[in-house]
Amino acid sequence: MINNFVFVVLFLLGFYAILVKKNLIKMVIGLNIMEGSIFFWFITLTDRGKMIPIVNGTQVASQLNDPVPQALILTGIVIGASTSAFLLTLIIELDKFTSSTNPDQIGGMIED
Amino acid sequence: MNITLILLIIVPLVTAFLIPFVDVFSNKARKILVAFSTLLEFSIGIFVIISNYSSITNNSFFLKYYLGNWIPPIGITLSMDMLSLFFSTLISFSLLFIVIYSIGFIGHHEGKYYVLLFLIWAAMHGIVLTGDIFNLDVFLELMLITSAPLVAFKRDRNGTEAAIKYMFYGTIGGLFVFIGVVLVYFNLGTLNFADIAQNFNSLNIFSKKLISVFFLLGIFIKMGVFPFHFWLSKAHSACPSSISALLSGVIVKVYIYVFIRLFWNVFGYNILQQTGLNKIIFVVALISTVMGHIMALNENDVKRMLAYSTIANLGMIIAVLVINTKLALLAGLLHVLSHLLMKVSLFTTTGYILQFTPGHKLEDLKGVAYKNVLIFTGFTIVAGGMIGLPPMIGFASKWYILKAFIKSGYNWGSVITIGGSIFAFVYYIRYIISGFKKLSLGPPERFRLILSVFYRERVVTDIAFIFVIAVIVVGVFYKVALGPLEGAINVIQNPSLYIEGILGG
Amino acid sequence: MSKTKHIFAVLILSLLGITLLVSLSKLPNQFEYANSIYHHVVNNSITETGSLNFVTAILYDYRAYDSLGESTIIFGAVSGIVLLLSRKTLPVSSHGLSFIVKRTFGMLTPFIFLFGIYIITHGHLSPGGGFQGGVILGAISIIFSIVYGSEFDYKRYSPTTKTLLETSGALLFIGLGFMGILLGGNFLMNLNILNAEVGSLLSAGSIPFINIGIGFKIGAGLAIIFYSMIQKTFKEEVDL
Repeated sequence: MINNFVFVVLFLLGFYAILVKKNLIKMVIGLNIMEGSIFFWFITLTDRGKMIPIVNGTQVASQLNDPVPQALILTGIVIGASTSAFLLTLIIELDKFTSSTNPDQIGGMIED
Repeated sequence: MNITLILLIIVPLVTAFLIPFVDVFSNKARKILVAFSTLLEFSIGIFVIISNYSSITNNSFFLKYYLGNWIPPIGITLSMDMLSLFFSTLISFSLLFIVIYSIGFIGHHEGKYYVLLFLIWAAMHGIVLTGDIFNLDVFLELMLITSAPLVAFKRDRNGTEAAIKYMFYGTIGGLFVFIGVVLVYFNLGTLNFADIAQNFNSLNIFSKKLISVFFLLGIFIKMGVFPFHFWLSKAHSACPSSISALLSGVIVKVYIYVFIRLFWNVFGYNILQQTGLNKIIFVVALISTVMGHIMALNENDVKRMLAYSTIANLGMIIAVLVINTKLALLAGLLHVLSHLLMKVSLFTTTGYILQFTPGHKLEDLKGVAYKNVLIFTGFTIVAGGMIGLPPMIGFASKWYILKAFIKSGYNWGSVITIGGSIFAFVYYIRYIISGFKKLSLGPPERFRLILSVFYRERVVTDIAFIFVIAVIVVGVFYKVALGPLEGAINVIQNPSLYIEGILGG
Repeated sequence: MSKTKHIFAVLILSLLGITLLVSLSKLPNQFEYANSIYHHVVNNSITETGSLNFVTAILYDYRAYDSLGESTIIFGAVSGIVLLLSRKTLPVSSHGLSFIVKRTFGMLTPFIFLFGIYIITHGHLSPGGGFQGGVILGAISIIFSIVYGSEFDYKRYSPTTKTLLETSGALLFIGLGFMGILLGGNFLMNLNILNAEVGSLLSAGSIPFINIGIGFKIGAGLAIIFYSMIQKTFKEEVDL
């Protein structure tokens, strides 16, 4: 239960940053918070309260946690890192043209 | 086991990795590599059709490939049935000509341009062929992150703004898809499409609803359907015309493939019906059509007008697909084909025309028809197709959509389709009239070349003509396409075929 | 104006949050699914892949194709960043930090490199692997740029070298995948090249080689990203 609550709160905090903040870099941070909340949620949802899935001979298979979500999250982290790196590059580019990082100068996110 | 499936993905991928490697040594070698791989990839696509011709004609076509020798529920499976084949052929055909068009059109930073173009090609084939829900997410993100630099390719303010919006919307859409993947894994403990499809009905209605809502949100945000369309017009108009054609014509169709595959084959159409989501999708899609047409009418920039028209047509395709009768699915898939051909040819011709104008605005286009009458006539013909005039392909697909709406009693849909045609007539005719307007004081300097422009002008015009001719030829002989489309519809309507194809034997 | 917008956003978000919470609370609590990937991996992974680290076994064997896609995403991001930030002029750099810092890092850098290599090559035995070790390798280039100045980094470890490293890492991965086809299996099959006893360094088939390929690719890729970004700030410094 508590993990759902933390997930929703973190996810919406990130969303709040994207909706309200007046700085594109803070919006990227909001995006990262949203991502992080999903990773946290995935890990806690599939947690069986067992050991880490790395053996050194003494553990039995039934004592191990699920390794699949961990692998998926590793992939997700890398995807998130490349997305943020590229977004930050775009913000550097925009800064070159307008000398600011205010999202209003690109018409905000809900105007075309 | 069919090795061609993995080759369809790996050939563009290896090309993309090799280009920077070769570029260090010689520019010319890179050009040869690009041309060679493009032809190789296209011929692999042709080879798949020829070598399986008999099974395609008798509707038993199914190829699969187990990556890393892992049998389905454990590893990742690639598969190709009639639906994937249809989309894969569209992708190969249009990408072949878009790459050749780019050879004449793009003149700076060619190395990185082709790297990204080939990565998009690999990502699109990856999405169309994959049979794994997390792999789908990975390739969706790959397609997003490789198309965003191309949106900002002009390196001006407009392009950068468009790319920032595109990235934000695309990433949030990707997060929703990821939440969907989390829920699927939590509920079913599997990631394989066929395995999910087999066990999905055993879930309680609530989980099913939650999963569908998250996937729908993610796909619709990435696609640019009405409440989330704010990025689309900017992103599709700020880039070079070859990329506009790619984004507006091809990438959008790949999302439609994902929509069809997930909600007909994997989750099953029943879930949309049980939860009443199909009515919501229908209404949203029709609103999207109306909004797209109205905003296109309002627009004075030719490329943005074309982008809004994409929103409108996208809405129409989705609306007709969710009716879920055989005729409606046929109409939807036919309009996928027709909108792809027409949008790509519109953008390729516009890309040529815009090189002779001072800007993209309506008044800038004055008299541009006399610069190259043939190309502008091509633009006019295809615009006629978008409006729905015979003998262009647009007529056939709109006719089928209209029939599907009327037969299933959705009169609002048919009204909007006809109204949309009238709207389209108004907003295309403005640009055509403007193009044929004689300039009163037409100094020849008006047609000065804005950029350093064409590197090979013949290539650009030839490709534009190829697409215009394709629009007419396919429009006349569209009945030939109906056979394969019925095979695809057979796949869409029978999820059990897909499950058996992957899990059985 | 902005205050009403804030309140509006908070209202909408709290509504959304309550809906989400209510929906999520109705999810089933138990997740014992028979015949899932989890049971297969946990029970058979060691005999099938020879890797003690099950996460590595999934990343580079069961779902190696995902890792290929993922490293392609990094490659795509790097290409995009270089495309946007590329410039013809040589980077004008600061001269780095003081003598003491330079000496200290001069002694530390080989060990950081060694640590990165250790993490990469022991990916199948302990926590770590190509991605994690690659990030450590990428940090070396960042140290060069900050401590010694980016001109040093440019001369020692030029962008061309980095590009070559990155693409050859990726090509090694794909090449290993193709070896699977040549040896009669499928793409990305686990090859039987390192077949020492499970638990030793030279075990787990082709997983260590894939780790090495990915490690160099990620390291070079992150170095290129950092380099492209810092190049730009230095240019602006000169403009002032």
